[in-house]
Formats: sequence, structure tokens, C-alpha cells
Amino acid sequence: MPQMGVSVAEGTVAEWRKQPGDRVEADEPICVISTDKIDTDVPAPASGVLVEILVPEGETVDVGTVLARIEVEGSEALGVGRWALEDGTDAKPNGGKRYSPVVARMAAQHDLDLEAIKGTGRQGRVTKKDVLAFLEHADEAPMHIESPYRPEPEPQSPTPKAQSPKPGALSRMRRSIGEHMKRSLETAATCTTWIEADMSRIEAGREQLGLTALPLVARCAIAALREHPQLNAWLEGEAYTVHDAVHLGIAVSLGDEGLIVPVIHDAQELSAEGLGRRIKDAAKRARSGELRPDEVRGGTFTITNPGQYGSIMATPVINQPQVAILDLEAVVKRPVVIDDAIAIRPMTIFGLSWDHRALDGVLAAQFLASLRRHVEAWDGG
Amino acid sequence: MATETARSDATGHLTRDDRVGLLRYMLLMRGIEERAMTLYRQGKVPGSFYDGFGQEAVSAGAAFAMGPKDRLCVLHRDLAAHLVRGVTPARILGQYMGRAGGVTGGRDGNVHFGDWQLGCVGMVSMLPDMMLVATGMAMAFKLRHEQRCALTWFGDGSTSRGDFHEAMNWAGVQKLPVIFVLENNQFAYSTPLEAQFAVDPVHRAESYGFPGWSVDGNDVEAVFEATREARERALAGEGPTLIACETMRMHGHAAHDDMKYVDKERLEEWRRKDPIERQERVLEGLGVDVAAVRAEVAAAIEAGVEEALAMPMPDGATATAGVFCEGEANVLGDGQAPWSGVS
Amino acid sequence: MPTMTYLQAISDGLREEMRDDERVFCMGEDIGVFGGAFKVTDGFIDEFGPDRVMDTPLAESGIVGTAVGAAVVGLRPVCEMQFSDFISCGFDQLVNVAGKMHYRQGLAVPITVRLPTGGGFSGGPFHSQNPEAWFMHSPGIKIVAPATPEDAKGLLISAIRDPNPVLFCEHKHLYRRIKGDVEAGVYATPMRARVARDGDDLVVITYGAMVHTALEATEELEGVRVLDLRSLVPLDEEAILDSVRACAKVVVVDEANELCAAGAQVAALIAERGFEDLDGPVVRVATPNVPIPFSPPLEQAVLPSVDRIKEACVELLAY
Repeated sequence: MPQMGVSVAEGTVAEWRKQPGDRVEADEPICVISTDKIDTDVPAPASGVLVEILVPEGETVDVGTVLARIEVEGSEALGVGRWALEDGTDAKPNGGKRYSPVVARMAAQHDLDLEAIKGTGRQGRVTKKDVLAFLEHADEAPMHIESPYRPEPEPQSPTPKAQSPKPGALSRMRRSIGEHMKRSLETAATCTTWIEADMSRIEAGREQLGLTALPLVARCAIAALREHPQLNAWLEGEAYTVHDAVHLGIAVSLGDEGLIVPVIHDAQELSAEGLGRRIKDAAKRARSGELRPDEVRGGTFTITNPGQYGSIMATPVINQPQVAILDLEAVVKRPVVIDDAIAIRPMTIFGLSWDHRALDGVLAAQFLASLRRHVEAWDGG
Repeated sequence: MATETARSDATGHLTRDDRVGLLRYMLLMRGIEERAMTLYRQGKVPGSFYDGFGQEAVSAGAAFAMGPKDRLCVLHRDLAAHLVRGVTPARILGQYMGRAGGVTGGRDGNVHFGDWQLGCVGMVSMLPDMMLVATGMAMAFKLRHEQRCALTWFGDGSTSRGDFHEAMNWAGVQKLPVIFVLENNQFAYSTPLEAQFAVDPVHRAESYGFPGWSVDGNDVEAVFEATREARERALAGEGPTLIACETMRMHGHAAHDDMKYVDKERLEEWRRKDPIERQERVLEGLGVDVAAVRAEVAAAIEAGVEEALAMPMPDGATATAGVFCEGEANVLGDGQAPWSGVS
Repeated sequence: MPTMTYLQAISDGLREEMRDDERVFCMGEDIGVFGGAFKVTDGFIDEFGPDRVMDTPLAESGIVGTAVGAAVVGLRPVCEMQFSDFISCGFDQLVNVAGKMHYRQGLAVPITVRLPTGGGFSGGPFHSQNPEAWFMHSPGIKIVAPATPEDAKGLLISAIRDPNPVLFCEHKHLYRRIKGDVEAGVYATPMRARVARDGDDLVVITYGAMVHTALEATEELEGVRVLDLRSLVPLDEEAILDSVRACAKVVVVDEANELCAAGAQVAALIAERGFEDLDGPVVRVATPNVPIPFSPPLEQAVLPSVDRIKEACVELLAY
């Protein structure tokens, strides 16, 4: 159906002047087309034989519809000349990487290292989508200094705020703690070993569970203690007792009053979530002065976690009569070498103070290595 | 429909006060332009300065025949038309000086203005574009069966452009109530008539289907009478008229033009036909105190100068405002119509 | 709701507005007795009479200039240029008299000039142009360019009601090809952009017939938004920048000649005010700077095709 006129979109075949089998000459009228403007003879486009009529008389079709077939001697492939588009889109060779404005802006906003993000755009370009994907699996807030320990909400504690001590006097609790610490250092051959660990998975895991890192690390520590039960023990004078169950003490700060260590008995039976709940509950009751005596006795291993202020290492004092205490400090994003490339990872330093009367450095190191292994392999278990 | 020479005696339609009024408007025009020229030379008028020295009768006479509801497209040597319609000397001088209180508030310069509230459309520089606008106004009057007309002035040079033809043709074929006043002042800048056209435009009106009249452009009452008659024709539904006013541009094209190309003798010949002097003689013959008229006009102009000089310049921060009309479209308003016999 | 072609919608809008406002009248060549070269005003003279459906002399400058005169004394002329190309004969009146009048003299000029624009049907160099950019560049003139029947009617009514000179670009190639639902009666469409299809990965910004070409070109691509500008003056900068913010990748399509087309202004706007949201270069697809040729293979080679637009989008998506 030819385009007859600028705004014509369709036409009706009014009459076929030729029938299949008829010979047609080029430009000879072959049919009559009717549009809303006029009736027109349509000349045959080429000489040949009319082979087939596809649109019968009386039918209306859109412009461009094939009306009939003519068998023509020899055919001409009409190449539709396409305007050659200029091909100017090859990326210029460039030594350094280039980031688009939106990618650069998002990186600045979220404090991201673009080198650490895999690019899926042309020639490995980091695209906006790549950045969005990266952000989805990472924390929103910058993680520069972060402790696995989350302070509990302010207790409406009936415990009266400690009066500032009279000059020259310590509170009774403080003196009691101090005596315990002094006795421990005088009794035990206290040494401290440290190990660095990559907390990426812990951070991801804890977010997923809606917990602080402490219960996850505690879970890992329990697993490590299973592998190195010598550290889950008491030493009272000459008597060295290794325990099966892990009665985990968690040091809880009471502010100016000092600290207290509630014990989670049979912690080995608890998942990270369970540990989290128990720790939270114990801390709450510790602060409100509701702990029962048996809740602060019987611990076989202690974890202390003062890292929310940013300190990275410490030399904790062993909680007598235990033989080891694990210290969790701040998590800090650091550049580390992985596969000979630099990556940014949230790192922490686990400190283990241990009693050289019962243990030695190798054991301590092995325990820490196990702990690290469990931490870096955390997958929700 | 052939070319006619219009009558020069218009006393049948003008009272004594009307005739004094005609002089007064011409005096105002000349006085304001002279004052403005001084201000221009003092650097108070930016850009260029155009005047209609020696042509005052063409605008004063034609505008005087208009009714309040008629509409005008006024050109750059037709200052008297603005004055007839009611624009004050102060606003005109403010306009020349680009002041905020000038008619366009500094938006356009020199005589490129028209107070729409008084029924005048401001001109553009492309001549004779305004002929089509006047034709369009007349077209609207006819469509609405209104008893009013449109009038525009244009010069000999502009008749060479396409819009002259389109307007004449359109007005003729639709028989519109429009009056085309051709100010033939002998020169378009430096181009004399011989280089402008082969046939005087006044003869072309016939080919568009309406009369072309030749008028002594320096006889204000003749110009008035011709326009009055043309208006009558228009209101009676008889269509357009071309009134070709023969006059002379006594000053250069603009203040920067020393018109060396004009023969001095020719200028002197036209000076003797000065329209103001001629009307003064007519009125003196009627016992009018011409000196008093002059004095009153001079005082009015001085007051206008003072007022205009006190007007502030426009604030640059307003330069981008007003490109579009926001809200309701305004339409041309009615102007003054001082002629006693206006209908 | 009735279904109409783009052309019927224009007729309908004009007719309804003429019924609603007695100041409105049409003027143009062959629009009265003949009903218009494209039949937009077919039958109008029977309803409204020859005064309101005026057959003018062949004089584009005259049409625009007299329209200005009629408008400043209170009428609402709707001028028709038989083809948009002929507006060049009325350029002076449009740009210097109509466009500048309000700024200079404070006098409104409420005229509408209908421009049958665009190519794609072997109209040749003088019947296929898209002259929008000439007038975008002239202060005081508004320009609208609908792509759908619904918008054609609504924007025409908006144009007629606007107190300023408005050019109404009706694309000839859409006249009978595009159908849609159109509300009965009178309604005015705002002079702002609309999202023709939503998406977040890339936006194609265009207007007129190219909206349909763009929709077809990106049918099978995921996440491609098509923004129909609908109005060139005023240009909906907010909508453009919103789309850039959401999609970060932009293809601007012009059927008009590339150099200084409307799309060039869009690209400049984005480069300046959308820079920080861009995740790739602002790509333009436009007709090259040639007169529109007559023979189909030549014409098809220069007008932006479905394939060319699709190719540009695919490449930019992968960038």
C-alpha cells in the first residue's frame, strides 16, 4: 500500500486491474487505491508476472502492507543507506581510573574506598549500580572506630549514684575490686598475648542478627575453648581443674562504681542469639543491682569488652581462680594486604591474658588462632 | 479610486479652538524634541535620537482626527500623535532618557514607545511592520462590527518592504477600516526617492483596491481633513485609504547624521514651508495670541523636563522581568480625542 | 471517553475552545472553505462562519502581523501556518513584534500559531522541518509540542488561553498514526513534561513524534525511562533534573537538526546542574545538519530511527 499523501495512514483496494498470471509492465496501472482523499491508479513497480494477490478488492490495509507479488526477472537488493554514525565512544587510554560524578559523590558521602568496589561497567568501570550494590551489603554508617560492645540504655537504677569519694577514700566496691585484682596479679604468672582478626563477617553477622558483636565473639570463643579446653579451667593453689561446661563471665561496667562479672552458666549450649539475650539481661540486672550471688560465681572463662572508647589493646587481669581472660577492644578499619593487594577491613586485636603457671605461650597463641579462625569464618552458626 | 489631491480648507470641521489645538500640539512636539536634542548633546539621552523636525503636521493633523476608541501605531517622527492621545511631556522626556518613569521604563528607547492605556502600540525598528498590526486591529473592528478605525504612519523607504505590500493587499481585499498615512519626507536615511521606487506609492493604492490621496504634509489642517474623510470612509464600511503626505525631513536621519547628501537649496525651500510657521500665520489672521500659546507650551515643556530629570534610572535587577504576561491579558485602552467634532 | 486520532484531538480542542470563548477565531490559508490542508478545520466554517474561520491571503507575515493587531484589541486569533516551514516568512512579525511587545511595552499579545511540523513521509526540505529552536532562542515566545492526542487537545487549549504568543507544534506524522483516549469538553494541560514510561537505569528525553520512536526503540530494554518534554518554552527543568537524578544516564533525542536543537539546551542544562548525578556522558541522537531530503532511503538515513536510538541506549547502559 503506497503512501499517498503526507497524512494518509491506510488505503482501500478498490479494484484489481490485473489478475494472477497476467503479465504487467513497469508503470502500467495494476490496481486502484481509494483513500479518504481520492481514488488513484497504482502503477506496477516492475515488469514481470503477477503471481499472487494478497489483499482482495474492498479490503482496507495500512500503508506499507504488501498488496501483491510480482515475479520479476532479476532482483535488485536495495541497500538502505544508513547514515554512518560517528563512533566516538571508545574510552581513551588512561593510566589511572576515572570515576563518574555520581560515583565520586556517593563515595565521598559514604566514605567508601572505590578501589575496593568491583566495577561491572565498560572496561571495568565502577558504575552507580556497583556502588549501590556495595552499600547494600555494607554498613550505612562509617565504621571507623567501633566496639563490638554496645552500651545498654541508661538504667533507671535505684542504685544511688556514687558520691564522689571523699578526698583520699575509695568506695567499698572499688576497694574490693582492687583487692581482687592485686591478689590475681600476685598469685598468677600473668602474661598477655595478642592476635589481629578481620571482623568483616562478624560485623555482617551481627547486623543480620540484630546484636552487638560480643555474643558472636563469645560464641567463637566458646568454640575455641572446646578446641583448647586447657584454658577453660581453674587453678586454686596446686589444684588445676579443666571444666567441660563453659560458664562464661562477662565483665559489665557499673560506671563509677566499678565492674561486676555476671556468669552465664552452660554458655556452650547457647547460640549467639541466646548468648546475646542472656548477656543483655545480665548486664541490665547487674546495673540495677538485681544479680543473685550465684550469678556472679562459678565462671570458668571471662570476656571483657571495654572497646567503645577506642582503645585497641589492653592487659586484662585474670579473674581468679580462672586461668585466662579474653579482652575485646575497638574495631578499626585498617588497610590490610590480601592477595598482595591492599583492602580495607574492620580489624580488631584480641588480647588474652593467661596464667603461665597453668599454660604456656604456644597454647595461648593456638587458642587465639582458633578464635580468629572462628571469627573470620563466621557464617551465622 | 484614482489619486486625488485632498482639499486644504478644513474650516468646515474645525472650531477656532481646534485650530489652536493643532498648533499647540505641533509646538509641543517641536519644543520637546529640541529640548531632548540638548539633553542628548549633554549626554543625558543614551543611544540615538530621532526627531520629526519639519514634519510635525503629519502626526498632529492625522492624530487629531481620531476618536477615543480608534487605535494608533505611531512611528518615530510622529511624536505629536502621542501628545494628542494624552502622553505627557515628562513621560516622553523620561522615555528618551531611559528613566524608570518613561513610557517603557527603559525597556525600549527613543520613540519606540506606545502607551497602551491610551490606545497606542509601540513601534518596532523593522519598518513597516506596524502596518500589519494596524491592519489586524482594523480586521478585529470589522469582525465585531464596531464603529472605529486603526491608523498607522510609515515612511517612503518602508514601502519597499514586503510588509507594505502584505498590509495594503490584506486591507484592500478585506476592505478594512484602516488608514495608512505615508510620510513621504523625501529620504530614507540617505536614500532619495529615485533610488527607492519606480512608482510613487500613492499610485499603488489603486492596484490594491482603494484610493490614494496626495496631501500637502506641511499643511496641518489639510492633513487633518484628509484623515477625517478617510475615517468617515472607514466607519462607513468603504475600506482603507492611503494618505500620502508630502513633507521634508529637515534634520538628519538621527542626531548622528549631518545630512550632507541633501541639497542646501532644497532644504531652504522646505524651510519656507515650515508647518508651524504656516499655522501660526493662519491663527494670527484669526486674531489668536500666538505668543501666549508659545509661552504656555514652553512652560509645559520646562515643567516636563524638571519632572523627567527627577525620575530615577531603572533598577538593573528588574532587567529580566516582564518577558511574559502572567495573569490576564491587557488590551489597548481609549485615548484622548481633543477634536471637538469627534464622533 | 472517546478515542481519537492526534489530528481529531486537535480539531476537537480548537472546536471546543471556540465554542467556549467567542473571542477565539482561526485564520490561515485554505482553512475555511477547504477545511485546511490537513483537514483540521474541516466543517468549522459551517458551525462558526467565515468571520471566525478566515481564509487569508497567501501572506505569512500578514497572518502573524494582523493576528498581533487583533489580539491587542481583545480577540484570540489562532493562526495556522500551512506547514511549519513557512513560519520563516513570518519570522520578523513573530520575533520582533509579537515576542518583544510585552517586555517593551507591557502589552500582552495572546496569539496562538499552529505549526504542522516534522518529517518522515518524503515531504522534502520545505515540508519537513522542525523550527522550534529558532524560536526557543527568541525571548517572549512560548512553544509546546504534544506527542499524544490527549496532550494535543489539552496543550492547544492551554496555548489559546495563555496571554502570550504560543507556538503549537503539531507533528504531521502523528496526525493519523496515533490514537488515544481524549476527554470530552474543555481542559487545559500544563506546560510541563510527563513521564511516558518509567524506569531507573537510563532516561531518554525527547518530544513530539520522537517520543513514539523512543518508546518503540526501548520497549525491550529494561529500566529505560522516556521523558516527554511536551513544552520547550517554558522548559521543565525540574522534571529533567529529577530524571537525571533517578537514572544517571541520559540520551537526548531531537528530530530537529542537531546543531543548537532543543536537545542541546537540555544537554547543557544537565551538564551544568545535573553533573553530580551523571554516571555517563550525555548522549545525543539527532538529525544531522542537512536539509531533510526527499527520497525515502535518504530521509530514513537522517531522521533518528528506532535502531539508532536503541543502539545509543544499549551502549550507554553498558557504560
